[in-house]
Amino acid sequence: MNMQVVIKVIAGIMLLTSVSCKKETEYVYAVEDVQVRKGDGSKTVAKTMVEFISIAYADVFGNAISQNQLSQLSLLYLSFGDKRLLEDMLVKNMLNSQLAAIPSDTEMRADVNAYVRSTYLKLYNREPNELEAFTLAKDINDDAAMRSSMVFYAMMTSDEYRFY
Amino acid sequence: MNNRNGRRAFLKKAAAAGAGAIIAPYILPSGRLFAASGNRVANHVVFCLFAGGVRNIESVAQDRGNLMPGVLGGGFSVAPSIAPGIDVLPSLPGASLRSQGTLFRNFRYAQGPTGHFNGHSTAITGSYTLQDLSIKEPPKMPTIFEYYRKHNDPAQSALNAWWISNTLGPYPSLNYSTYPGYGALYGANYMQPASLITQSGLSALSNPIAFTAQEQEKIDGLKSFFNQSFRSGGTVDTDGITNAELDGLELQDYIRQTLQEGSTGAFINPWGVGAANMNNDMVNVFFAERIIQRFKPELLVVNMQGVDICHSNFTEYCNQLHKADYAVAHLWQTIQSTPGMANDTILIVAPEHGRNFEPNTILDVYGQPAIDHTSDATSREIFCLVVGPPGKVVQNQSITQVTGESIDIVPTIAHVLGFRENIPGGLLAGRVLNEAFV
Repeated sequence: MNMQVVIKVIAGIMLLTSVSCKKETEYVYAVEDVQVRKGDGSKTVAKTMVEFISIAYADVFGNAISQNQLSQLSLLYLSFGDKRLLEDMLVKNMLNSQLAAIPSDTEMRADVNAYVRSTYLKLYNREPNELEAFTLAKDINDDAAMRSSMVFYAMMTSDEYRFY
Repeated sequence: MNNRNGRRAFLKKAAAAGAGAIIAPYILPSGRLFAASGNRVANHVVFCLFAGGVRNIESVAQDRGNLMPGVLGGGFSVAPSIAPGIDVLPSLPGASLRSQGTLFRNFRYAQGPTGHFNGHSTAITGSYTLQDLSIKEPPKMPTIFEYYRKHNDPAQSALNAWWISNTLGPYPSLNYSTYPGYGALYGANYMQPASLITQSGLSALSNPIAFTAQEQEKIDGLKSFFNQSFRSGGTVDTDGITNAELDGLELQDYIRQTLQEGSTGAFINPWGVGAANMNNDMVNVFFAERIIQRFKPELLVVNMQGVDICHSNFTEYCNQLHKADYAVAHLWQTIQSTPGMANDTILIVAPEHGRNFEPNTILDVYGQPAIDHTSDATSREIFCLVVGPPGKVVQNQSITQVTGESIDIVPTIAHVLGFRENIPGGLLAGRVLNEAFV
């Protein structure tokens, strides 16, 4: 009987020991990377001249504008009173450049829904809502003559493109 | 390209039809067109800010010779003390400007600091800048462009109102004010040619992607959809003025055409005075002339400021004065040879302010002391010249007593274009320079 008690006590101690020696789990609390994007209605800050030029350049050419180019384009921007007219001309010229890196018409038509989403994300920095996604995709799908450059030009000269 | 032109032609026809509907009631049986707002002296005004700080001593008083034969007549002459530093320019044919108008020899920039921007702002708004003036903001009082576009009847597009400046800095902001009820909606088209018509302008603006008329219609549809989807609570205060679509297309064409012409070297020596003699002022006036020839605006303001070299080089100041004289005489010649502007334009010429009586301590290579402008009595003494057709402007008149101020120019322009009475009371303290008109 005593022997049984001793064995139980030893077993209990071993059990306790094994539990107490178990390595504690380390919990690391962190924030997952999340793309934060504003909805269209919450864009209230107009791009400055420098921001507009820099962002438009990056959106068309896929890389950052050089300081020298930014300085030259800023001078042009300042030297004419109708800023939207100048922006229109700048965007048209950028889109006509051989260095323009916008999706080709073939790429656009390969997956129209993906094109619409990625173009909204690139130019408006947000997801299109369902109506926007449907409408633009329909416009592209229904019209074989619609070109990617037409979509880019329309979006880059629209009101929303001037805000962030 | 044909389709694009087709769309433009369509827009032009539509606009012409609309304009016809508006204008038709004002065409009298005689065929003459009258503005509805009041009797006009003429249908065009060009205001040349002969700026940079010009003393009457060197200009109308001819203390160093007649450096301004184009304006004053009488033949070019230079005092021996500065003669080696003066570039001799070919004389322009035709009578002097003074003989074709009225010269106010003792005009005044009566109040406010004698700063260039203050002087420009005063001349363009008709209000002295007695309070602090921010060079980063448009003027607080309405500009002549806004008065014109708001109060002229029928209203005119921005293609009829131009501000052409020779430098950037604060000057672009003079095409409209922050005054409540006025602002960019009534502003002028602004251009600073020296920064726009450049190699970088050519690279960045002159090779646009081409869309056919059908494509453009689709783009318009897309854009309309995007704009309808977007409702911002913010405002864009950097837009500047906005031209109507048709006018915008016309302007884009104009800019590209000018850039392309410039790339051929056509603007290196356009007046035949020698490329080295074409200073920034002359270039600025040259591009103002191109605006005149293309758009025949009802109101155009152009400035020059080369004479401000006088802070450090008096002889070069005299040289720049001589070139400014040539430029303004050339400007009048262009006006008078442009159909639609000839014999129907009033040209007003005035410095924004003068310069001090006492020089500073800097001597130029000819031993001549430089001169600043720090609001002494002499720096407030300027001239004003009103030139125009006989029967409208008093010819060959020189008024020697102190008459007229800088703030009188805006009401005078409003008078010429027939909308002075439409400007609300209390906005303009100046008067019409009636002495100049028949």
